[in-house]
Amino acid sequence: MDNENEFTGADILLKALKDQEVDTIFGYPGGAVLPIYDAIFGQNFLKHVLVRQEAGAVHAAEGYARSSGKVGVLLVTSGPGVTNVVTGLTDALMDSIPIVCISGQVPSHLIGTDAFQECDTTGITRPCTKHNYLVKDVSKLSETIHEAFKIASSGRPGPVLIDIPKDVQFAKSKYIPKKDISFREHRIKAGSKNVNKNFVEELVNHIKKSERPIFYVGGGCLNSGPQASQELIKLVNKTNIPITTTLHGLGCFPGEDKSSLGMLGMHGNYEANLAMNKCDLMINVGARFDDRVTGRLDAFSPDSVKFHIDIDQSSINKNVKVDFHTNTDITLTLKEINSFIESNNIELEKKDYTNWWGQINDWRKKECLHYEQGEEIIKPQHAISRLYDLTSHKDTFITTEVGQHQMWAAQYYKFSKPNRWITSGGLGTMGFGMPAAVGAQMANPDSLVIDIAGEASFLMNIQEIATAVQYKLPIKIFILNNEYMGMVRQWQELLHGSRYSESYVDALPDFKKLAESFNAVGVRAKNISELDDAINEMVSIDRPVIADIWVDKKENCFPMIPSGAAHHEMLLSKYDKENPENQEKGKVLV
Amino acid sequence: MSSTSVYPTPINAFKQSKRSVLSIIVDNEPGILARIVGLFSGRGYNIEALNVTVVDIKNNLSRITIETLGEEKVISQIIAQLEKLVPVHSATNLANLSESYEAEICLVKIEFDNNEQDQKILNFADIYRSRTVQKRQNIVVYEISGTSERINKFLDDLNTIGGIKVELVRSGPIGLGI
Ligand SMILES: Cc1ncc(C[n+]2csc(CCOP(=O)(O)OP(=O)(O)O)c2C)c(N)n1
Ligand SMILES: [Mg+2]
Repeated sequence: MDNENEFTGADILLKALKDQEVDTIFGYPGGAVLPIYDAIFGQNFLKHVLVRQEAGAVHAAEGYARSSGKVGVLLVTSGPGVTNVVTGLTDALMDSIPIVCISGQVPSHLIGTDAFQECDTTGITRPCTKHNYLVKDVSKLSETIHEAFKIASSGRPGPVLIDIPKDVQFAKSKYIPKKDISFREHRIKAGSKNVNKNFVEELVNHIKKSERPIFYVGGGCLNSGPQASQELIKLVNKTNIPITTTLHGLGCFPGEDKSSLGMLGMHGNYEANLAMNKCDLMINVGARFDDRVTGRLDAFSPDSVKFHIDIDQSSINKNVKVDFHTNTDITLTLKEINSFIESNNIELEKKDYTNWWGQINDWRKKECLHYEQGEEIIKPQHAISRLYDLTSHKDTFITTEVGQHQMWAAQYYKFSKPNRWITSGGLGTMGFGMPAAVGAQMANPDSLVIDIAGEASFLMNIQEIATAVQYKLPIKIFILNNEYMGMVRQWQELLHGSRYSESYVDALPDFKKLAESFNAVGVRAKNISELDDAINEMVSIDRPVIADIWVDKKENCFPMIPSGAAHHEMLLSKYDKENPENQEKGKVLV
Repeated sequence: MSSTSVYPTPINAFKQSKRSVLSIIVDNEPGILARIVGLFSGRGYNIEALNVTVVDIKNNLSRITIETLGEEKVISQIIAQLEKLVPVHSATNLANLSESYEAEICLVKIEFDNNEQDQKILNFADIYRSRTVQKRQNIVVYEISGTSERINKFLDDLNTIGGIKVELVRSGPIGLGI
């Protein structure tokens, strides 16, 4: 029976990971994965990063994937190990992040007996994965792993989970290399490789006709690869059409370019939202008409012809009906649009949309991101602006937690390249940013990785500082400390009569001492005169740093389209009052 | 019905809730039925009927037929979501085909007390051409097949007979496009 061509399930897993060119895995051991940990012990191609809680592993894998364009991989044990990653899997599903999660399971013969640390892993994770497997036969393991990687990274990317019972990790079989596996096309759903010529032609015709066009670009552009961004830049430069991006689209187009209107949506720029409202041609590139972007649907961009490029068929006509769509990959489609324009000598440059840009520049004069920085208390917006000024010359990756600080980061930090901005958009997971920074730093050891954090969010996965310290990952945690769940406080102020129910973050730790107790470094800025020094010190230290930046506690994040309001009903400052009817309607929404 | 966004949706975009029969070809593997059912329950859509059986042993394919109610927009979203599932080969709304046929099978067990009832039952059974599966002194079991509508009518007619006890099982509709 013992055959030298046969390997244990655990060894097959490692062979498959090597074959997939995985060099980093985030994990946490336990009884049901000990054979795999044993196999990890005896090899050296794979770097295992021991997190401090499995939630950290999944967010780190997300950060790794987002910042590198590769598949992020994690390994957890059965029962509590895997239930701890449910939030992260859901997060990756919502934000289309390719990750593969390997989980241990109790031995096959114990499945269904309520064995120690048994849970219905495939059942629990079914709605929060793109696909999942329970591997009961070791001879199917190689193929399953290779298919899992393919599915995670094809079409609209997402999380895939492979549950491996402990006996299967010990059982032996042949290893089938990736090159010998023929994937079944219907299972991979990679999307069409044929560009929809009709779509391209219609689009160019509409561009020629339109007076008020706009590009609305989302995370799909990022997932299509860096080439998509290059083609987009080319197309925008050629056409002189204004471009706005979603939270996840930031970086697909240089934020400081004159054609960029910045981010749109609930906390998006005035000019971006009004341009979406008033445009006559909307070109949606890999965005999904999320409710944070559209505001009230019946008032969303009423007069535009809508084009939608999205690899995910189910995103088409889901929330907003469009006039033309294609499901072909964004890079291929944009390339075709560019070459169609070139080869037909279509001169779009002459069309400079003077009136439209005039109108947009008038909206820009509102300076919707203006704030007043006083002499003493640090304005959170200013903290981000300074952080940008003092770090943008470096090769910088920004992750965030969730809340006001996240929106200020999106508004005031400008990105010029894709994959530099890593944030939890769809699910809005507090506690995402720090482990995501760990992952991003693993993927980019020589870059500057900063988690822009809120003090409340940071507390949710604070244990991962130990991971950063252990692996000498010099991540920076830049806390906008307002002693409030600021975003919750803001909604309570605007929608619930300033009744700040349970949104004050009492009994905060001393973040400086906390950093020191973890063997990291703590710095602090209490007022404006200390801000730049704190940032410079933080950046200069080649170790994990927690920067505790004390900011104005009552600052709100504007502009804001309150839930249930339309794009043109934006609030620009605390002096703008919301229409009371909308307020009542908005209260019941999220 | 619920809209797909948290925001109120233009009223006239939805409304006509109609019956659809979806026909889905899948790889016959563990979890796929749960994924499909979860897709409905997770979005608050109801399944009126569901049928699943292997139809191609060699290629290990099953056909799943689901009857559901919903506005056209909701149904097309369901179809798009179904097509995204890894083991799904195809998902079709039979209502969108120019030609399709449906059938359902139903087994009915009727308990009766007297001759008059027996005669009425026999009469309906005859009209609807149902097949007698078993007949005892006070019990008869029929098998009736055809469109769901036809079966509904048969059952409605049976219910006009007083004092009998009816127990039944239905396969739910199955259908094929041409
Ligand atoms: C896990 C989780 N729980 C609750 C929320 C709801 N929520 C959104 S923002 C927020 C407050 C975040 O506070 P903090 O991290 O201090 O950021 P700030 O808004 O003050 O910048 C909360 C509780 C969430 N997004 N995620
Ligand atoms: Mg806070």
